[in-house]
Amino acid sequence: MLQANTINLTEMVETYTSELYSWALHKVSDSELAKDLVQDTFLAAAEKIENFKGESSPKTWLYSILNHKIIDIYRKKINQPVNLENQSFSKFFDEDGSWKLENRPRDWHEEEGHLLDDNEFQVVLRKCFDALPEKWSTCVKLKYLSEKNGEEICQELDIATTNFWQIVHRAKLQLRDCVEKNWFRN
Amino acid sequence: MHILFLSCLKASELIEKKFHFGLTFSEKIQLKMHKMMCDACTQYEKQSVVLEKGIVAMQKNNASQADIEGLKKLITEKLSHNEK
Repeated sequence: MLQANTINLTEMVETYTSELYSWALHKVSDSELAKDLVQDTFLAAAEKIENFKGESSPKTWLYSILNHKIIDIYRKKINQPVNLENQSFSKFFDEDGSWKLENRPRDWHEEEGHLLDDNEFQVVLRKCFDALPEKWSTCVKLKYLSEKNGEEICQELDIATTNFWQIVHRAKLQLRDCVEKNWFRN
Repeated sequence: MHILFLSCLKASELIEKKFHFGLTFSEKIQLKMHKMMCDACTQYEKQSVVLEKGIVAMQKNNASQADIEGLKKLITEKLSHNEK
């Protein structure tokens, strides 16, 4: 029996390593970390192989192990309270909460959707995204994990729902401002 | 805060809340009223959608070609090591 399981797992490594790696990399944006995650996934799978009764496909089973590991990474990153200091708002808004004149969102003329096909725009966006505080960018990325909605993610991370979209709000304000200044005004 | 009139700070926060959680009925009305009067927040909403899409596209491009065969070998070795 053990022999058969070992063979199965070796086959799984052969079949699924590539796509598990792409998924992990897509989620954590760090190739070394992604490799470690895939490796840990198979090691955890080896330990739990007796529990795997073939009720789900091997693929689903491996993805669920990997996703738990990815969520753990995010959870560690967000574990400390997120600093929502008002400084970040005063950069964009007056005291009465209206947009500062120099930071008012302008029309990007994005009706045709050309912007996202533009490689240079992608470069600017990536630079601006990388410039975000890690916790903010983590929260924004988090949204795309397993296509879950915000509420579910917050439950998994044990953070209050208000916190989550407020963090996304701040991240977006900063990202928006950075993109507009670097792309539209140069 | 006035029942009908939101600040831009609050309106832009509601726009994010809308994307990520959904709004209550009164929040919907408040936001709609605000956007009717405020071009900047109307633009903010459009831009926020573009940024969301851009982030998704950006993350898809991340999957660069790594040494998958090396990784497979490493994992297989570790697995057989753990067996013993």
